[in-house]
Amino acid sequence: MKGASSMKENEKKTPNKDWDPVIVAFLCTWCSYSGADLAGTSRLQYPPNIRIIRVPCSGRINPLYIIKALTEGADGVMVSGCHPGDCHYLAGNLFARRRFVVLKKLLETCGLNPDRVQFTWVSASEGGRFAEVIKEVTANVKKIGPNRIVPGFAEDCKEASAE
Amino acid sequence: MIYEEMTKQIREAAKRLLKEGAVDVILAYRGGGLNEMQVPFFVKKPEDAELIEWGDRCYQNLAPYVHGLNKKVGILAKPCDVRAIVQYITEFQIERDKVTIIGVDCIGMVDENGNARPGCSECRVHKPPVYDEYIRDERAANLPAIEPKAGETTLEENLERFQKEIDKCILCYSCRQACYGCYCKTCFIERDMPDWQPAEIDTGTKITFHMGRAMHLAGRCVDCGACEAACQSGVNVRYIIREVTKFIEDAYGYSAGMDAEEPPALLTNKFDDKEFGFLGGERHE
Repeated sequence: MKGASSMKENEKKTPNKDWDPVIVAFLCTWCSYSGADLAGTSRLQYPPNIRIIRVPCSGRINPLYIIKALTEGADGVMVSGCHPGDCHYLAGNLFARRRFVVLKKLLETCGLNPDRVQFTWVSASEGGRFAEVIKEVTANVKKIGPNRIVPGFAEDCKEASAE
Repeated sequence: MIYEEMTKQIREAAKRLLKEGAVDVILAYRGGGLNEMQVPFFVKKPEDAELIEWGDRCYQNLAPYVHGLNKKVGILAKPCDVRAIVQYITEFQIERDKVTIIGVDCIGMVDENGNARPGCSECRVHKPPVYDEYIRDERAANLPAIEPKAGETTLEENLERFQKEIDKCILCYSCRQACYGCYCKTCFIERDMPDWQPAEIDTGTKITFHMGRAMHLAGRCVDCGACEAACQSGVNVRYIIREVTKFIEDAYGYSAGMDAEEPPALLTNKFDDKEFGFLGGERHE
């Protein structure tokens, strides 16, 4: 059984030299996704570790998406939406904010490093800030190391991609 | 005996409510269960009210029976049951006019060996916060409210504890069945679009289930202990839900099931909510 070996042991393993974090980024389509677009069209450099998933609103993000991403081997999860008050749907990000704060507490209580999950606000005009945020998130996740919450899974993925 | 005196009062109240026609059915307990446990009992006729019994083994949470029962219901409710019903009302699951609460003071229930039941040993509410009829128990007045401890443990200790608990889990979902708050018609673990739970039992599946359930119950848990009592493998993940619920109480000032007018913490928002743990934001200590 996969759960037989200790999660703690696996968290502690030193990362491979060629390990590069995979960060799943949920971006709200109205602000952060446009911000990412602006960062791209402005030719700003930021680490290529993020995999962007576009969602209609940060309030659309089910906390289960984040939990599922972590259990399936993502090294980090980033969520970004409109600044409070700027939500296209008026209050979607305000509901989301409470949910995310609670989710962070839940991760901590379960012993998973809450810094794997990062929340922030990026507006459509903040292309520069988007690049800065991605740099910061990637640096944070690199510091924590690879995700070994579910032992075996990361290795499976690596084999599959090598084939 | 105090329990006999209380039983007499409950029977009178039940008889009166049924005779007046204020309720169609009363949910209560009667004797005769296994290990002298009091079992749930649906009283429909005033003469049946004589069979109602109140004691220290009325531990089943009756609130789930009220959910989806389209009748005028009376319910004999311990403080945790009352809080569960109030939570149903705030979540628009039942209407306040349709339910008559016979609130009972509770000093804690015991199991067949005389040990305190899971939720009872750390109970915070000994008096029903909302009621229509009230049955007093003098002993409940001076009981201390045991507050959950805030996180004094390190991340590694948390992980060790969580892992120890989920290693025992066999994913039978008894905790979900027993829980008052898990009333979704289709639970997320039974959906196949998206497929949250693969059929395989491994650590990832268990983490998804327990964390997903904890997230759904965050701020809504009334600490009745039904999940822990229902578990045949001895898994206790209630401590996680309890700690998160405590956090919500501190951060947003919402306490589950205490006020039928107040919307649940995660169903509302304020513009100036604190952003604990956000990038560049402050940390919760």
